[in-house]
Amino acid sequence: MSKVGTLEELVDLVKPGMSISFGGFAHSLTPLAFVRELIRRDIRDLELIGIAEAWAADMLAGAGSLRKIVFSNFMFEGFGLCRNFSRVIETGAVEFEDYSHFALASRFSAAGLGLPFATVRSLLGSDLAGSDDGVQRVRHVDFTSPFGDERVMLLPAASPDVVVIHGHRGDEHGNVQILGATAVIEEQARAGKTVIATVEQFVDSAEIRATPNHTVVPGLLVSHIAEVPYGAHPTGMFRLYDADYDHIRQYAEASRDPAAFAAYLADVTTGDHQDYLARLGVRRLLNLRVDPHFGYHLERTESGWRA
Amino acid sequence: MTATTEELMVFAASQEIRDGNTVFVGTGLPMLAAYLARATHAPDVSLLFESGIVDPNPTHLALGVGDFRLMHGATSVRGLHYVLGLLQKGSIDVGFLGAAEVDRHGNINSTIIGGTYRHPGKRLPGSGGANDIASSAKSTVIMCLHRPERLVDRVRYVTSPGFLGGNDEREQSGLRIGGPRMIITDLAVLRFHPVTRDAYISSIHPGVDPATVIARTGFPIEVPSDVARTPAPDDTTIQLLRGMDPGGVYLRGR
Repeated sequence: MSKVGTLEELVDLVKPGMSISFGGFAHSLTPLAFVRELIRRDIRDLELIGIAEAWAADMLAGAGSLRKIVFSNFMFEGFGLCRNFSRVIETGAVEFEDYSHFALASRFSAAGLGLPFATVRSLLGSDLAGSDDGVQRVRHVDFTSPFGDERVMLLPAASPDVVVIHGHRGDEHGNVQILGATAVIEEQARAGKTVIATVEQFVDSAEIRATPNHTVVPGLLVSHIAEVPYGAHPTGMFRLYDADYDHIRQYAEASRDPAAFAAYLADVTTGDHQDYLARLGVRRLLNLRVDPHFGYHLERTESGWRA
Repeated sequence: MTATTEELMVFAASQEIRDGNTVFVGTGLPMLAAYLARATHAPDVSLLFESGIVDPNPTHLALGVGDFRLMHGATSVRGLHYVLGLLQKGSIDVGFLGAAEVDRHGNINSTIIGGTYRHPGKRLPGSGGANDIASSAKSTVIMCLHRPERLVDRVRYVTSPGFLGGNDEREQSGLRIGGPRMIITDLAVLRFHPVTRDAYISSIHPGVDPATVIARTGFPIEVPSDVARTPAPDDTTIQLLRGMDPGGVYLRGR
Protein backbone atom coordinates (compact mmCIF):
# COMPACT_ATOMS: atom_id res chain seq x y z
CA MET A 1 0.00 0.00 0.00
CA SER A 2 1.40 3.36 -0.97
CA LYS A 3 2.01 5.85 1.78
CA VAL A 4 2.10 8.76 -0.62
CA GLY A 5 -0.80 11.17 -0.65
CA THR A 6 -1.63 14.80 -1.24
CA LEU A 7 -1.57 17.37 1.54
CA GLU A 8 -5.37 17.37 1.48
CA GLU A 9 -5.54 13.58 1.83
CA LEU A 10 -3.16 13.70 4.79
CA VAL A 11 -5.22 16.36 6.54
CA ASP A 12 -8.29 14.12 6.15
CA LEU A 13 -6.76 11.88 8.81
CA VAL A 14 -7.20 14.52 11.52
CA LYS A 15 -10.65 14.42 13.14
CA PRO A 16 -12.19 16.79 15.67
CA GLY A 17 -11.39 15.75 19.25
CA MET A 18 -8.02 14.16 18.45
CA SER A 19 -4.77 14.87 20.27
CA ILE A 20 -2.05 16.16 17.96
CA SER A 21 1.59 17.25 18.05
CA PHE A 22 3.73 19.03 15.45
CA GLY A 23 7.42 19.10 14.62
CA GLY A 24 9.23 22.43 14.76
CA PHE A 25 11.41 24.64 16.89
CA ALA A 26 11.08 28.44 17.06
CA HIS A 27 11.11 29.74 13.46
CA SER A 28 12.06 26.43 11.86
CA LEU A 29 10.86 23.00 10.75
CA THR A 30 7.14 23.53 11.39
CA PRO A 31 4.58 21.85 9.06
CA LEU A 32 2.62 25.05 8.53
CA ALA A 33 1.12 24.20 5.12
CA PHE A 34 -0.55 21.34 7.02
CA VAL A 35 -1.65 23.73 9.79
CA ARG A 36 -3.12 26.19 7.26
CA GLU A 37 -5.09 23.35 5.65
CA LEU A 38 -6.39 22.27 9.09
CA ILE A 39 -7.56 25.83 9.69
CA ARG A 40 -9.07 26.14 6.20
CA ARG A 41 -11.17 23.03 6.94
CA ASP A 42 -12.07 24.46 10.37
CA ILE A 43 -11.21 21.25 12.20
CA ARG A 44 -11.76 22.05 15.88
CA ASP A 45 -11.78 20.62 19.37
CA LEU A 46 -8.16 19.48 19.07
CA GLU A 47 -5.85 18.76 22.01
CA LEU A 48 -2.40 20.08 21.19
CA ILE A 49 0.49 18.37 22.99
CA GLY A 50 3.34 20.68 22.06
CA ILE A 51 6.88 21.45 23.12
CA ALA A 52 8.61 23.71 20.63
CA GLU A 53 6.12 24.21 17.76
CA ALA A 54 5.22 27.79 18.71
CA TRP A 55 3.96 28.61 15.21
CA ALA A 56 1.50 25.72 15.05
CA ALA A 57 0.30 26.48 18.58
CA ASP A 58 -0.26 30.17 18.01
CA MET A 59 -2.00 29.79 14.63
CA LEU A 60 -4.33 27.05 15.89
CA ALA A 61 -5.04 29.00 19.09
CA GLY A 62 -5.89 32.08 17.04
CA ALA A 63 -8.13 30.03 14.74
CA GLY A 64 -10.11 28.63 17.67
CA SER A 65 -9.09 25.08 16.77
CA LEU A 66 -7.94 24.01 20.23
CA ARG A 67 -9.87 22.59 23.17
CA LYS A 68 -6.79 21.90 25.29
CA ILE A 69 -3.10 22.80 25.26
CA VAL A 70 -0.55 20.56 26.96
CA PHE A 71 2.78 22.34 26.57
CA SER A 72 6.09 23.54 27.96
CA ASN A 73 6.81 26.90 26.30
CA PHE A 74 5.52 28.85 23.35
CA MET A 75 7.18 32.09 22.34
CA PHE A 76 8.36 33.77 19.15
CA GLU A 77 12.13 34.08 19.60
CA GLY A 78 13.15 37.65 18.94
CA PHE A 79 9.52 38.74 18.48
CA GLY A 80 8.08 38.29 21.97
CA LEU A 81 4.97 36.50 23.15
CA CYS A 82 2.76 34.14 21.16
CA ARG A 83 -0.21 36.43 21.62
CA ASN A 84 -2.99 34.13 20.42
CA PHE A 85 -1.72 31.41 22.71
CA SER A 86 -1.54 33.80 25.68
CA ARG A 87 -5.01 35.18 24.85
CA VAL A 88 -6.83 31.82 24.86
CA ILE A 89 -5.36 31.04 28.28
CA GLU A 90 -6.07 34.48 29.71
CA THR A 91 -9.70 34.36 28.51
CA GLY A 92 -10.23 30.80 29.75
CA ALA A 93 -11.07 29.59 26.23
CA VAL A 94 -8.93 26.44 26.55
CA GLU A 95 -7.88 23.91 29.16
CA PHE A 96 -4.12 23.86 29.70
CA GLU A 97 -1.32 21.95 31.43
CA ASP A 98 2.19 23.31 31.97
CA TYR A 99 5.29 21.12 31.81
CA SER A 100 8.98 21.78 31.40
CA HIS A 101 10.54 20.94 28.03
CA PHE A 102 12.34 17.88 29.35
CA ALA A 103 9.34 16.59 31.32
CA LEU A 104 7.04 16.71 28.29
CA ALA A 105 9.67 15.38 25.86
CA SER A 106 10.25 12.54 28.34
CA ARG A 107 6.52 11.72 28.29
CA PHE A 108 6.86 11.26 24.52
CA SER A 109 10.05 9.29 24.99
CA ALA A 110 8.36 6.89 27.42
CA ALA A 111 5.50 6.32 24.97
CA GLY A 112 8.06 5.69 22.24
CA LEU A 113 9.67 3.00 24.39
CA GLY A 114 6.33 1.37 25.13
CA LEU A 115 6.51 2.24 28.84
CA PRO A 116 3.64 3.55 30.99
CA PHE A 117 5.50 6.43 32.59
CA ALA A 118 8.55 8.67 32.36
CA THR A 119 11.07 9.28 35.15
CA VAL A 120 12.50 12.79 35.50
CA ARG A 121 14.02 15.05 38.15
CA SER A 122 12.37 18.17 36.72
CA LEU A 123 9.22 19.60 38.34
CA LEU A 124 10.28 18.56 41.89
CA GLY A 125 9.54 21.39 44.31
CA SER A 126 8.05 23.67 41.66
CA ASP A 127 4.50 24.95 41.21
CA LEU A 128 4.23 23.02 37.94
CA ALA A 129 3.68 20.06 40.25
CA GLY A 130 1.28 22.06 42.44
CA SER A 131 -2.48 21.66 42.68
CA ASP A 132 -5.64 23.76 42.42
CA ASP A 133 -8.50 22.91 44.78
CA GLY A 134 -6.83 19.60 45.61
CA VAL A 135 -6.47 18.60 41.94
CA GLN A 136 -2.96 18.10 40.56
CA ARG A 137 -2.08 20.57 37.82
CA VAL A 138 -0.27 17.79 35.98
CA ARG A 139 -0.65 14.14 36.89
CA HIS A 140 2.48 13.00 38.68
CA VAL A 141 3.87 10.82 41.45
CA ASP A 142 6.74 12.09 43.63
CA PHE A 143 8.60 8.80 43.87
CA THR A 144 11.53 7.58 45.98
CA SER A 145 13.86 5.19 44.17
CA PRO A 146 13.68 1.61 45.50
CA PHE A 147 17.39 1.30 44.61
CA GLY A 148 18.50 4.07 46.97
CA ASP A 149 16.65 7.07 48.29
CA GLU A 150 16.80 9.48 45.40
CA ARG A 151 13.56 11.29 44.61
CA VAL A 152 12.18 11.51 41.09
CA MET A 153 8.95 12.47 39.35
CA LEU A 154 6.88 9.90 37.51
CA LEU A 155 4.80 11.30 34.66
CA PRO A 156 2.39 9.38 32.42
CA ALA A 157 3.58 8.49 28.92
CA ALA A 158 2.06 10.65 26.18
CA SER A 159 1.03 9.21 22.84
CA PRO A 160 -0.68 11.75 20.57
CA ASP A 161 -3.33 10.42 18.18
CA VAL A 162 -1.54 12.19 15.35
CA VAL A 163 2.01 13.52 15.00
CA VAL A 164 2.74 15.77 12.03
CA ILE A 165 6.33 16.51 11.00
CA HIS A 166 7.98 18.36 8.13
CA GLY A 167 11.32 17.23 6.75
CA HIS A 168 13.85 18.12 4.10
CA ARG A 169 13.64 14.96 2.02
CA GLY A 170 11.59 11.80 2.00
CA ASP A 171 10.61 8.83 -0.10
CA GLU A 172 7.53 6.79 -0.95
CA HIS A 173 8.22 4.47 2.00
CA GLY A 174 7.85 7.33 4.47
CA ASN A 175 11.52 7.77 5.32
CA VAL A 176 12.15 11.35 6.45
CA GLN A 177 15.52 13.09 6.43
CA ILE A 178 16.23 16.29 8.33
CA LEU A 179 19.33 18.49 8.27
CA GLY A 180 20.53 20.37 11.34
CA ALA A 181 19.12 20.20 14.86
CA THR A 182 16.05 17.97 15.06
CA ALA A 183 14.00 19.58 17.85
CA VAL A 184 11.71 16.93 19.39
CA ILE A 185 10.92 15.12 16.15
CA GLU A 186 12.54 11.80 17.07
CA GLU A 187 10.57 11.49 20.32
CA GLN A 188 7.31 12.73 18.77
CA ALA A 189 7.50 10.33 15.83
CA ARG A 190 8.17 7.37 18.12
CA ALA A 191 5.30 8.35 20.42
CA GLY A 192 2.58 9.05 17.85
CA LYS A 193 -0.24 6.59 17.17
CA THR A 194 -0.28 7.87 13.57
CA VAL A 195 2.67 9.76 12.11
CA ILE A 196 2.16 12.00 9.08
CA ALA A 197 5.06 13.60 7.24
CA THR A 198 5.32 16.38 4.71
CA VAL A 199 8.68 16.92 3.05
CA GLU A 200 10.25 19.54 0.84
CA GLN A 201 11.25 17.01 -1.79
CA PHE A 202 10.73 13.37 -2.69
CA VAL A 203 13.89 11.50 -3.61
CA ASP A 204 14.59 7.99 -4.79
CA SER A 205 14.91 5.48 -1.94
CA ALA A 206 18.42 4.71 -3.15
CA GLU A 207 19.39 8.24 -2.14
CA ILE A 208 17.93 7.70 1.35
CA ARG A 209 19.84 4.43 1.70
CA ALA A 210 23.03 6.16 0.60
CA THR A 211 22.69 8.78 3.36
CA PRO A 212 21.05 6.93 6.28
CA ASN A 213 22.56 9.22 8.94
CA HIS A 214 20.21 11.97 7.76
CA THR A 215 17.12 9.80 8.28
CA VAL A 216 15.68 11.09 11.55
CA VAL A 217 12.42 9.18 11.17
CA PRO A 218 12.56 5.83 9.38
CA GLY A 219 9.60 4.96 7.18
CA LEU A 220 8.42 2.15 9.43
CA LEU A 221 7.13 4.83 11.82
CA VAL A 222 5.40 6.92 9.15
CA SER A 223 2.00 5.98 7.74
CA HIS A 224 1.45 8.85 5.28
CA ILE A 225 3.75 11.23 3.42
CA ALA A 226 3.30 14.12 0.97
CA GLU A 227 5.66 16.35 -0.97
CA VAL A 228 4.97 19.95 0.07
CA PRO A 229 7.67 22.42 -1.08
CA TYR A 230 8.00 25.45 1.20
CA GLY A 231 5.71 23.54 3.55
CA ALA A 232 7.30 25.19 6.59
CA HIS A 233 6.92 28.81 5.44
CA PRO A 234 7.13 31.32 7.14
CA THR A 235 9.40 29.16 9.31
CA GLY A 236 12.61 28.02 7.63
CA MET A 237 14.40 24.80 6.71
CA PHE A 238 18.14 24.75 7.48
CA ARG A 239 20.22 24.66 4.28
CA LEU A 240 17.11 25.15 2.06
CA TYR A 241 15.42 28.43 2.94
CA ASP A 242 15.61 30.82 5.87
CA ALA A 243 12.74 31.93 8.08
CA ASP A 244 10.75 34.76 6.44
CA TYR A 245 11.38 37.48 9.03
CA ASP A 246 9.30 40.09 7.16
CA HIS A 247 6.32 37.77 7.26
CA ILE A 248 7.00 36.94 10.92
CA ARG A 249 6.97 40.67 11.74
CA GLN A 250 3.62 41.07 9.96
CA TYR A 251 2.21 38.07 11.80
CA ALA A 252 3.40 39.34 15.19
CA GLU A 253 1.71 42.67 14.49
CA ALA A 254 -1.55 41.09 13.29
CA SER A 255 -1.70 38.77 16.29
CA ARG A 256 -2.00 41.75 18.67
CA ASP A 257 -5.63 42.10 17.70
CA PRO A 258 -8.21 39.29 17.11
CA ALA A 259 -9.84 41.09 14.16
CA ALA A 260 -6.51 41.76 12.45
CA PHE A 261 -5.51 38.17 13.05
CA ALA A 262 -8.76 36.85 11.58
CA ALA A 263 -7.99 38.87 8.45
CA TYR A 264 -4.47 37.40 8.35
CA LEU A 265 -5.86 33.86 8.65
CA ALA A 266 -8.47 34.48 5.94
CA ASP A 267 -5.69 35.65 3.66
CA VAL A 268 -3.31 32.73 4.22
CA THR A 269 -6.03 30.06 4.00
CA THR A 270 -7.62 31.25 0.77
CA GLY A 271 -7.13 28.52 -1.81
CA ASP A 272 -4.61 25.71 -1.47
CA HIS A 273 -0.87 25.70 -0.72
CA GLN A 274 0.05 26.45 -4.35
CA ASP A 275 -2.19 29.54 -4.21
CA TYR A 276 -0.47 30.55 -0.96
CA LEU A 277 2.96 30.28 -2.58
CA ALA A 278 1.78 32.13 -5.68
CA ARG A 279 0.58 35.03 -3.53
CA LEU A 280 3.94 35.16 -1.73
CA GLY A 281 5.55 35.46 -5.13
CA VAL A 282 8.76 34.29 -6.71
CA ARG A 283 10.79 37.30 -5.58
CA ARG A 284 9.98 36.73 -1.92
CA LEU A 285 10.79 33.02 -2.04
CA LEU A 286 14.06 33.68 -3.88
CA ASN A 287 14.99 36.15 -1.15
CA LEU A 288 14.88 33.33 1.40
CA ARG A 289 17.59 31.34 -0.40
CA VAL A 290 20.52 30.32 1.77
CA ASP A 291 24.25 30.65 1.52
CA PRO A 292 25.55 27.15 0.73
CA HIS A 293 28.40 27.40 3.23
CA PHE A 294 26.40 28.68 6.20
CA GLY A 295 22.98 27.21 5.40
CA TYR A 296 21.11 30.45 6.10
CA HIS A 297 20.35 33.64 4.22
CA LEU A 298 23.06 36.27 3.72
CA GLU A 299 22.59 39.63 2.09
CA ARG A 300 25.19 41.22 -0.07
CA THR A 301 26.03 44.77 0.96
CA GLU A 302 28.68 47.25 -0.14
CA SER A 303 30.91 46.14 2.71
CA GLY A 304 30.42 42.43 2.10
CA TRP A 305 27.99 39.66 3.05
CA ARG A 306 25.77 40.26 6.04
CA ALA A 307 23.55 37.85 8.02
CA MET B 1 36.11 53.59 27.63
CA THR B 2 33.18 52.95 29.98
CA ALA B 3 31.19 49.74 29.90
CA THR B 4 27.42 50.05 29.55
CA THR B 5 25.20 48.34 32.12
CA GLU B 6 24.55 45.43 29.75
CA GLU B 7 28.28 45.01 29.06
CA LEU B 8 28.93 45.01 32.80
CA MET B 9 26.28 42.31 33.28
CA VAL B 10 27.71 40.18 30.48
CA PHE B 11 31.22 40.55 31.89
CA ALA B 12 30.05 39.57 35.39
CA ALA B 13 28.29 36.49 33.94
CA SER B 14 31.35 35.51 31.90
CA GLN B 15 33.47 35.49 35.07
CA GLU B 16 31.33 32.64 36.45
CA ILE B 17 32.50 30.32 33.66
CA ARG B 18 35.71 28.35 34.34
CA ASP B 19 37.86 26.91 31.59
CA GLY B 20 36.67 23.40 30.76
CA ASN B 21 33.14 24.02 32.05
CA THR B 22 30.07 22.85 30.19
CA VAL B 23 27.46 25.58 30.25
CA PHE B 24 23.79 25.72 29.26
CA VAL B 25 22.98 28.94 27.48
CA GLY B 26 19.87 30.73 26.25
CA THR B 27 19.22 33.72 24.02
CA GLY B 28 20.56 37.18 24.77
CA LEU B 29 23.13 38.32 27.31
CA PRO B 30 24.09 34.78 28.50
CA MET B 31 24.96 33.88 24.90
CA LEU B 32 27.40 36.80 24.76
CA ALA B 33 28.76 35.94 28.22
CA ALA B 34 29.61 32.43 27.06
CA TYR B 35 31.24 33.71 23.85
CA LEU B 36 33.24 36.25 25.87
CA ALA B 37 34.43 33.59 28.31
CA ARG B 38 35.53 31.40 25.42
CA ALA B 39 37.38 34.29 23.76
CA THR B 40 39.22 35.21 26.98
CA HIS B 41 39.82 33.01 30.01
CA ALA B 42 37.90 29.83 29.11
CA PRO B 43 38.89 28.66 25.61
CA ASP B 44 37.80 25.10 26.40
CA VAL B 45 34.26 25.88 27.56
CA SER B 46 31.51 23.79 25.89
CA LEU B 47 28.19 25.42 25.08
CA LEU B 48 24.87 23.57 25.02
CA PHE B 49 21.56 24.99 23.77
CA GLU B 50 18.08 23.53 24.33
CA SER B 51 17.46 23.52 20.58
CA GLY B 52 19.85 20.54 20.46
CA ILE B 53 22.94 22.43 19.29
CA VAL B 54 26.22 21.25 20.84
CA ASP B 55 29.16 23.65 21.14
CA PRO B 56 28.71 25.86 18.06
CA ASN B 57 31.17 28.44 16.84
CA PRO B 58 28.91 30.93 15.03
CA THR B 59 30.16 33.53 12.58
CA HIS B 60 26.98 35.62 12.81
CA LEU B 61 25.10 36.44 16.00
CA ALA B 62 21.94 34.34 16.41
CA LEU B 63 18.59 35.95 17.22
CA GLY B 64 17.58 32.94 19.28
CA VAL B 65 18.57 29.38 20.13
CA GLY B 66 16.53 28.09 17.16
CA ASP B 67 18.20 30.48 14.68
CA PHE B 68 20.15 28.66 11.95
CA ARG B 69 23.01 31.10 12.61
CA LEU B 70 23.66 29.18 15.82
CA MET B 71 24.21 25.90 13.99
CA HIS B 72 27.46 27.02 12.38
CA GLY B 73 30.60 25.31 13.62
CA ALA B 74 28.72 23.04 16.03
CA THR B 75 30.44 19.79 17.03
CA SER B 76 27.08 18.03 16.95
CA VAL B 77 23.46 18.87 16.18
CA ARG B 78 20.97 16.73 18.07
CA GLY B 79 17.53 17.23 19.57
CA LEU B 80 16.03 18.87 22.63
CA HIS B 81 15.62 15.64 24.59
CA TYR B 82 19.25 14.69 24.05
CA VAL B 83 20.78 17.91 25.39
CA LEU B 84 18.30 18.23 28.25
CA GLY B 85 19.09 14.60 29.08
CA LEU B 86 22.77 15.55 29.41
CA LEU B 87 21.63 18.31 31.74
CA GLN B 88 19.67 15.88 33.92
CA LYS B 89 22.67 13.56 34.02
CA GLY B 90 24.63 16.32 35.76
CA SER B 91 26.88 17.36 32.88
CA ILE B 92 26.20 21.09 33.20
CA ASP B 93 28.43 23.21 35.45
CA VAL B 94 26.60 26.49 34.97
CA GLY B 95 23.14 27.13 33.56
CA PHE B 96 21.97 30.65 32.74
CA LEU B 97 18.40 31.73 33.44
CA GLY B 98 16.46 34.86 32.62
CA ALA B 99 13.55 35.87 34.82
CA ALA B 100 10.38 37.96 34.55
CA GLU B 101 10.16 37.72 38.34
CA VAL B 102 12.67 36.33 40.85
CA ASP B 103 12.50 36.21 44.64
CA ARG B 104 14.89 36.48 47.57
CA HIS B 105 15.46 32.71 47.53
CA GLY B 106 16.22 32.63 43.80
CA ASN B 107 12.92 31.11 42.68
CA ILE B 108 11.85 32.19 39.20
CA ASN B 109 8.41 32.86 37.73
CA SER B 110 8.19 32.82 33.94
CA THR B 111 4.56 31.70 33.78
CA ILE B 112 2.19 34.50 34.85
CA ILE B 113 2.06 38.21 35.65
CA GLY B 114 -0.75 39.07 38.04
CA GLY B 115 -3.83 37.01 38.85
CA THR B 116 -3.59 33.32 39.62
CA TYR B 117 -2.22 30.36 37.68
CA ARG B 118 -5.70 29.40 36.46
CA HIS B 119 -6.76 33.00 35.83
CA PRO B 120 -3.61 34.96 35.00
CA GLY B 121 -3.55 38.69 34.41
CA LYS B 122 -1.00 38.08 31.69
CA ARG B 123 0.10 34.67 30.49
CA LEU B 124 3.83 34.28 29.78
CA PRO B 125 5.45 31.56 27.63
CA GLY B 126 6.05 29.08 30.48
CA SER B 127 9.00 27.02 31.68
CA GLY B 128 10.58 25.76 28.52
CA GLY B 129 13.93 24.36 29.61
CA ALA B 130 14.20 26.74 32.58
CA ASN B 131 12.71 24.39 35.17
CA ASP B 132 15.00 21.63 33.88
CA ILE B 133 18.08 23.86 34.18
CA ALA B 134 17.07 25.08 37.65
CA SER B 135 16.50 21.48 38.79
CA SER B 136 19.55 19.73 37.34
CA ALA B 137 22.42 22.14 36.59
CA LYS B 138 25.22 22.08 39.18
CA SER B 139 24.71 25.83 39.56
CA THR B 140 22.73 28.58 37.92
CA VAL B 141 23.26 32.27 37.24
CA ILE B 142 20.09 34.36 37.05
CA MET B 143 19.93 37.60 35.08
CA CYS B 144 17.06 40.06 35.45
CA LEU B 145 16.08 43.71 35.80
CA HIS B 146 16.29 45.26 39.24
CA ARG B 147 12.76 46.59 39.83
CA PRO B 148 10.55 46.22 42.92
CA GLU B 149 7.95 44.26 40.91
CA ARG B 150 10.65 42.00 39.43
CA LEU B 151 12.81 41.28 42.47
CA VAL B 152 10.24 40.27 45.04
CA ASP B 153 9.88 38.61 48.44
CA ARG B 154 8.11 35.57 47.02
CA VAL B 155 7.26 34.83 43.40
CA ARG B 156 3.61 34.36 42.53
CA TYR B 157 4.36 31.00 40.89
CA VAL B 158 7.53 28.92 41.09
CA THR B 159 8.29 27.97 37.48
CA SER B 160 11.93 27.20 38.24
CA PRO B 161 12.99 26.30 41.78
CA GLY B 162 15.78 28.17 43.50
CA PHE B 163 16.07 27.56 47.25
CA LEU B 164 12.24 27.49 47.57
CA GLY B 165 11.44 28.82 51.10
CA GLY B 166 15.12 28.98 52.08
CA ASN B 167 17.32 26.94 54.43
CA ASP B 168 17.31 23.32 53.18
CA GLU B 169 13.90 23.39 51.51
CA ARG B 170 15.42 22.79 48.09
CA GLU B 171 17.18 19.64 49.29
CA GLN B 172 14.04 18.52 51.16
CA SER B 173 12.06 18.74 47.92
CA GLY B 174 14.33 16.07 46.40
CA LEU B 175 16.66 18.41 44.49
CA ARG B 176 20.01 17.30 45.81
CA ILE B 177 22.35 19.40 43.77
CA GLY B 178 22.47 22.83 42.26
CA GLY B 179 20.63 25.99 43.08
CA PRO B 180 21.31 29.59 42.14
CA ARG B 181 24.82 30.92 42.59
CA MET B 182 23.92 34.56 42.05
CA ILE B 183 21.51 37.06 40.55
CA ILE B 184 23.02 39.63 38.19
CA THR B 185 20.79 42.68 37.78
CA ASP B 186 21.26 46.01 36.03
CA LEU B 187 22.22 47.53 39.41
CA ALA B 188 23.98 44.88 41.47
CA VAL B 189 25.08 41.31 42.03
CA LEU B 190 23.23 39.34 44.70
CA ARG B 191 24.43 36.09 46.25
CA PHE B 192 22.82 33.73 48.76
CA HIS B 193 23.61 33.17 52.44
CA PRO B 194 25.02 29.63 52.77
CA VAL B 195 22.58 28.64 55.55
CA THR B 196 19.41 30.73 55.23
CA ARG B 197 19.71 31.01 51.43
CA ASP B 198 18.52 34.60 51.66
CA ALA B 199 19.78 36.89 48.91
CA TYR B 200 22.22 39.60 49.93
CA ILE B 201 23.95 42.34 47.99
CA SER B 202 27.39 41.07 47.01
CA SER B 203 28.39 44.09 44.96
CA ILE B 204 26.78 47.09 43.31
CA HIS B 205 27.72 48.30 39.85
CA PRO B 206 30.04 51.31 39.44
CA GLY B 207 28.17 54.61 39.71
CA VAL B 208 25.04 53.07 41.24
CA ASP B 209 23.63 54.79 44.36
CA PRO B 210 23.02 52.32 47.23
CA ALA B 211 19.68 54.05 47.90
CA THR B 212 18.54 53.14 44.36
CA VAL B 213 19.32 49.48 45.00
CA ILE B 214 17.29 49.53 48.22
CA ALA B 215 14.38 51.37 46.57
CA ARG B 216 14.27 49.02 43.59
CA THR B 217 14.39 45.79 45.61
CA GLY B 218 10.91 44.46 46.40
CA PHE B 219 11.93 43.15 49.84
CA PRO B 220 13.98 44.68 52.68
CA ILE B 221 17.69 44.49 51.87
CA GLU B 222 20.82 46.07 53.30
CA VAL B 223 23.64 47.68 51.39
CA PRO B 224 26.71 47.83 53.65
CA SER B 225 28.57 51.15 53.63
CA ASP B 226 31.73 49.32 52.49
CA VAL B 227 29.92 47.33 49.76
CA ALA B 228 32.12 46.15 46.90
CA ARG B 229 31.74 47.53 43.39
CA THR B 230 31.15 45.03 40.57
CA PRO B 231 34.38 44.70 38.55
CA ALA B 232 34.17 46.46 35.19
CA PRO B 233 35.69 45.04 32.00
CA ASP B 234 38.82 46.71 30.62
CA ASP B 235 38.94 48.47 27.24
CA THR B 236 40.16 45.39 25.36
CA THR B 237 37.31 43.31 26.76
CA ILE B 238 34.71 45.97 25.96
CA GLN B 239 35.96 46.16 22.38
CA LEU B 240 35.93 42.38 22.09
CA LEU B 241 32.37 42.26 23.37
CA ARG B 242 31.15 45.01 21.07
CA GLY B 243 32.67 43.15 18.15
CA MET B 244 30.52 40.14 19.02
CA ASP B 245 27.30 42.17 18.71
CA PRO B 246 28.15 44.88 16.16
CA GLY B 247 24.47 45.47 15.36
CA GLY B 248 23.50 46.01 19.00
CA VAL B 249 21.02 43.12 18.97
CA TYR B 250 21.52 42.38 22.67
CA LEU B 251 23.83 45.24 23.73
CA ARG B 252 21.33 47.98 23.11
CA GLY B 253 22.42 50.51 25.71
CA ARG B 254 25.06 52.38 23.76
